[in-house]
Amino acid sequence: MTDLQPLMDYATVKTWLDGLRKHWGGGVESGDEERLEILEAFCGFAGKDPDSVIDECVLVRDGEKRVRAKGRRRYANLITQFQAQVEGSRMTRGKWGNTVRSFLIHNGILLQAGLQAGDSETAT
Amino acid sequence: MEFKEVIGNRRSIRFFEPDKPVEREKIQTMLEASRLASCAVNAHWAKAIVIERDKLPEDKLEQLKTPVTALNVELAPVHIYWYADLGVVNRIEGSRLRELVDVGALAPTHGWTHKFVDEFVYPQILRPMTEGPGYAVAAAADCGIAMCQALLTAFDEGLGACFSAFNSNIAKEVFNVPNDWVPLYVLLVGYPAESPAAGGQRPRPPFEEQYYDGAFGTPFQRDEAVVERLKQANMIQQPATPGNQERMDEIKRLAERLGLPM
Repeated sequence: MTDLQPLMDYATVKTWLDGLRKHWGGGVESGDEERLEILEAFCGFAGKDPDSVIDECVLVRDGEKRVRAKGRRRYANLITQFQAQVEGSRMTRGKWGNTVRSFLIHNGILLQAGLQAGDSETAT
Repeated sequence: MEFKEVIGNRRSIRFFEPDKPVEREKIQTMLEASRLASCAVNAHWAKAIVIERDKLPEDKLEQLKTPVTALNVELAPVHIYWYADLGVVNRIEGSRLRELVDVGALAPTHGWTHKFVDEFVYPQILRPMTEGPGYAVAAAADCGIAMCQALLTAFDEGLGACFSAFNSNIAKEVFNVPNDWVPLYVLLVGYPAESPAAGGQRPRPPFEEQYYDGAFGTPFQRDEAVVERLKQANMIQQPATPGNQERMDEIKRLAERLGLPM
């Protein structure tokens, strides 16, 4: 991967942040700086820029956009590996993984990773 | 809970309390309700396999997940896998219809006798039906009735539930499913982590687009007085609305608590 451009120059990053605002309403932008930092770290980990990540999860057949199962599976696994190497609590690792998942989800790539909460008492 | 309120309170629940076990008696109650459902020719195609999530080996649970159900499969403590048992009609050969004659549910007043069942209904109608292209559809429709009774009973018991598609090849192998059972849906069951209203009743197409009076093209007119009465009975409740901030905040809280992406 060549050096990343500023992340906001990538169409998929704009789609992501727009999607977050549109879906969740005001107030979410306060977390943008941390989001972008995490996405940048993931791009470094995967050796891909944001648009390429989404491209690899999508294929166009007969003019229709479809999810590429193989690509989605690959990135679902990569995200799991990515969050596993993050230092900190399980909650922190989950947050990093979920931030990247959110990037894919708001670009139309359905992804479910299950519970990332760390402590059983949080889910009683 | 009153019947109409049970219908009104039902939502497809997608956030379950993952660590709150479901009492076995409540699951049995759901199955008892299912068994009592109306069923064509008393065949009872609907079969169910109840799985307690935590008793499944982890690798099997992983295999059962699909991209769209992975989270719910993990959240719901109980999974009920529903099937249409297509072999049942030829196994029972009309015997359950004869039972209906014996107990007076079917009577000569309506033309029913053992002789009619044995000489006409089974050999000339039911057996050929099992070889026709519409058989699986008819059986599945019948199963839907039984499944719906289990679903509504879950809510009457204070539980939440949601039907989902499932990976039938994996399920067949893991649960030792007979070859002539057709997979339908899995009913995921647990205590809701979301509020009972869950944002309100889901959007539905207009009444007049769904139901017709006399013939297709003439909508069945909706009487607002009836609608009002059903609102009083809590069958028709507050509808879900787009961008409901209260609902969004609820999902945010759940996402944070359960560790889910936003």
